[in-house]
Amino acid sequence: MDRIYRVTVERCIACGKCELACAFAHGHPGAPGVPRIHVRRLGPERGIPLTCFQCPDAACAAVCPTAALVRSEETGAIVLLDGHCIRCGLCVGACPFGNMVRDGLGHQAAKCDLCGGEPACVPFCPTQALEILPIQPAPVAAGAR
Amino acid sequence: MAFPERPAPGVGGHTAAGHAKAARVALTMDGRTVRAPEGTTLLAAARAAGIDVPTLCHHEALEPWGGCRLCVVDITREGWNGSCQMVVSCLYPVEADLIVLTDTERVRTVRREILDLLLARCPETPLIQRMARAYGITRTSYRPSPEPTDCILCGLCARLCDRLGMSAISTVNRGIGKEVAPPFRQPPPDCVGCLACAEICPTAHIPYDSSDGERRIWGRRFPMLRCPNCGRSHLTAAQADFWALRAGIPRPYFETCDACKRAALGDTIARLGLIG
Repeated sequence: MDRIYRVTVERCIACGKCELACAFAHGHPGAPGVPRIHVRRLGPERGIPLTCFQCPDAACAAVCPTAALVRSEETGAIVLLDGHCIRCGLCVGACPFGNMVRDGLGHQAAKCDLCGGEPACVPFCPTQALEILPIQPAPVAAGAR
Repeated sequence: MAFPERPAPGVGGHTAAGHAKAARVALTMDGRTVRAPEGTTLLAAARAAGIDVPTLCHHEALEPWGGCRLCVVDITREGWNGSCQMVVSCLYPVEADLIVLTDTERVRTVRREILDLLLARCPETPLIQRMARAYGITRTSYRPSPEPTDCILCGLCARLCDRLGMSAISTVNRGIGKEVAPPFRQPPPDCVGCLACAEICPTAHIPYDSSDGERRIWGRRFPMLRCPNCGRSHLTAAQADFWALRAGIPRPYFETCDACKRAALGDTIARLGLIG
């Protein structure tokens, strides 16, 4: 976990490329998945990209009856173990932000898993509203030692 | 009301974190050396190694059950002079230096027999037909059941209902009379209409109807909740009540659909003046 996913809402032009990239990255051949990132469109070229915050104390993981939502030590994201999901939808109801969705094909829950560390949406964002950046160590004040 | 405890992370060795921490044991599977975390089952080790072992009653989210017996494998050890023991791989834990054979003629014979019997019970079920064909059976050698059913008695629906805390359905009777049913075959009072049983059923045997405004399953009718903003109905009122209680989260969380919650979040960010 050495990188952080950053969203800069001021840069979003609501083009929706991230939604498409996500749908194709998480789809099956011939059937795009449900996007895990959504743009709240506020007007021409004004939008807010919304995706999972990977909450430290995540409601989705807390309510999952089969412990299917676990934090990946590699990326820091909360990932859904597909084989464990029983499609009860409890996590979708529990997420206060609506960032837990259901994949229309299998009714399975779906969420942003940061694509295992290389989010598919990032290279498609034309304005760098979405970035994946190395975590900067906190600057140490001069003479602090 | 008491709810079943959630499995602690790592129980059954099924989470990524559990795998990393448990000690690993080395065993041989189909001639390959496989390292598996201690406490996992032969089935999990085989699947992690990319070895295909057929199952019907197994689900990663539920405790192993050993009901379908399709996952049988042969085990042996150095010094057993070639004699084998047949075990159910979904229940048998990995042991160091075990030699596991997942596809011997003996194993195939047993699996073939099970599928032959299942095909007699469920002659019209595509899943069973497909699995039987993979073992060379196109027609059962037994007399096909005069009352074909799609229920393979894998018990997934009843075990899942237990896990979710409703326990509305269970297997009833024994032997040839065994079936999945609500208590006394009456509409189950504990059902909340979540459809988890129908979703998990590998043969889509559990009938339900979910048309706008109402959901019908197991002889009960559940009024649907509508999202107060967009009007989309996405769960039953009983589900919202039960889940709010189970999760300890206010009921309105479950009433609003995910799209409307996202919209509210976006509007909040906009209102905070973060963007022009």
